[in-house]
Amino acid sequence: MSALAIRLAGIAMESPLVLASGVLGTTASSLRRVALAGAGAVTMKSCSLQPRAGHPAPCILPWGGGILNAVGLSNPGAEGAAAEIAEFKRTCPVPLFASIFAGSAEEFGRLAGRIAGAGPDLIEVNVSCPNVQSEFGIPFAADPDACGRVARAVKDAAGSIPVSIKLSAQCASLARMAEACQRNGADAITAINTAGPGMWIDTGTGRPVLSNRVGGVSGPAILPIAVRAVYEIRKAVDLPIIGTGGVSCANDALQLIMAGADAVGIGSAIYGGGIGLFGEINRGLEDFLKEGGYDSIGRVQGLAHREDRP
Amino acid sequence: MSGRSLAMSSHEMHTLPVKQVVFHHDGLKSFVFPRAFDAEPGQFVMLWIPGVDEKPFSVSDVTDGKIEITAKAVGPFSRALMNCKPGDRLGLRGPFGRGFRPRGRGLVVGGGMGIAPLRYLVHRLEQDRASFRIVLGARTAEEMMFVGDFSRLGAQFATDDGTLGRQCLVTSLAERLCEEERFDLIYGCGPEPMLVALKKLADRAGIDCQLSLERHMKCGIGICGSCCVDGSGICICREGPVLDRAELDLVADFGLPHRDATGARKDAPAMA
Repeated sequence: MSALAIRLAGIAMESPLVLASGVLGTTASSLRRVALAGAGAVTMKSCSLQPRAGHPAPCILPWGGGILNAVGLSNPGAEGAAAEIAEFKRTCPVPLFASIFAGSAEEFGRLAGRIAGAGPDLIEVNVSCPNVQSEFGIPFAADPDACGRVARAVKDAAGSIPVSIKLSAQCASLARMAEACQRNGADAITAINTAGPGMWIDTGTGRPVLSNRVGGVSGPAILPIAVRAVYEIRKAVDLPIIGTGGVSCANDALQLIMAGADAVGIGSAIYGGGIGLFGEINRGLEDFLKEGGYDSIGRVQGLAHREDRP
Repeated sequence: MSGRSLAMSSHEMHTLPVKQVVFHHDGLKSFVFPRAFDAEPGQFVMLWIPGVDEKPFSVSDVTDGKIEITAKAVGPFSRALMNCKPGDRLGLRGPFGRGFRPRGRGLVVGGGMGIAPLRYLVHRLEQDRASFRIVLGARTAEEMMFVGDFSRLGAQFATDDGTLGRQCLVTSLAERLCEEERFDLIYGCGPEPMLVALKKLADRAGIDCQLSLERHMKCGIGICGSCCVDGSGICICREGPVLDRAELDLVADFGLPHRDATGARKDAPAMA
């Protein structure tokens, strides 16, 4: 077994690297391409019950520190997403994580039931998208009780498929959010979603560039926030964590793992590095383990919490 | 280990004044902007009309520090663009994607709006003293762009109504030329059924082809996944839009219904 192999909520993965939701995740073909490039698992773009076209362009804007996006959760709807899940599972052995989002706990439950039927390896619950506030209000991930109700509804509908709740770093207490997820049956936590939202003004015209005016901030700018968030969640709960936010090299991934993450999401960095980044970071992690004399990635997980032990 | 810089300044938004508007007819115009963007033939830029939308446009020429794009009024965005006048400020980002990679003796085949990027390509081929032939098709003479420019380079024309050149499909002209002459490469841009016919022609002739594909694009930078083809899963905005014969063999939806803005497959075949 490879030194990078892990088990996450019972799912065997050959690498801790996960394609983060929202990047190259709409079709079975693009997900398969990323899986073959070395991802330990791939996450689909979030789907809703009904199809959504999302916001008009510009909806994705690279800037010096990362990417600003307000795609607006475009997706082909539950039926379309289920068809892609089924096609992926037919043609690729790499674990597939579905991602779902809805306007109420009840709707989350109904959607989870539909998606579970298609057989993903895990269902990630997007309760923290910052780009649809005008439509859906403040994300569930700001309120532990609301988030807990969503976790319970999804868990009840998902059967034996593990459920991960995707949190935002922007809440009063990540510890209380994580505890609410655990109490309500969540099998894992994904942290963090994009930060902000932020705004980018084109000074030539004096207008915000994104059609939605504001959008989630991702990329290197948010890595330190993600590392802190994973560290706090690891202190609060024992659930497996998919640490996501700003990772673009093996050293970034190691930071999240040492903060307590079991797996590490990669998304925006594909802009600069392409999908070859998965193989590159896998090799970087292997080199690090070899040089440090560690026989598995699990040996360095949570290392940053060592100083706090008696 | 060091971090990787995500900064790619070439993809920043540049607000530029329209320098010149070239009138082809009421719903077909070229727009010149005072920045070259180092674009290669076949690459595209994202054009932003503040408050309206942002759309990808292939480059119809680059000269003396200026870039030109050519657009036809088909929807709300391109209709708004038709109203733009010299001095109006629009946003441009780019260049994006992978364009044509010229080599050997080329057959350049264009249809409809697909003619626009081929104009920049033939200017480059001419500059490089490459050997090439051109065949172009459009519905009518009025829809045929840059006729003088292409005629100077010996282009043959085909129209649906016979108002310019022969009354036939452009692919018929291409097939005949392939029987009469030897080519190393077919360059193509136009409606997808035309591209499918060109791919078959290249297969039969045993030569390579470079065809420019269209899919629904949002980000232009290979992130959102809207323009990924079925099969190989590659991004048209990043690995394309110009694909070669081996790459086209792995496009499962080549000539078939594409996906719309939601990511769902459309019911009817998409036409460029």
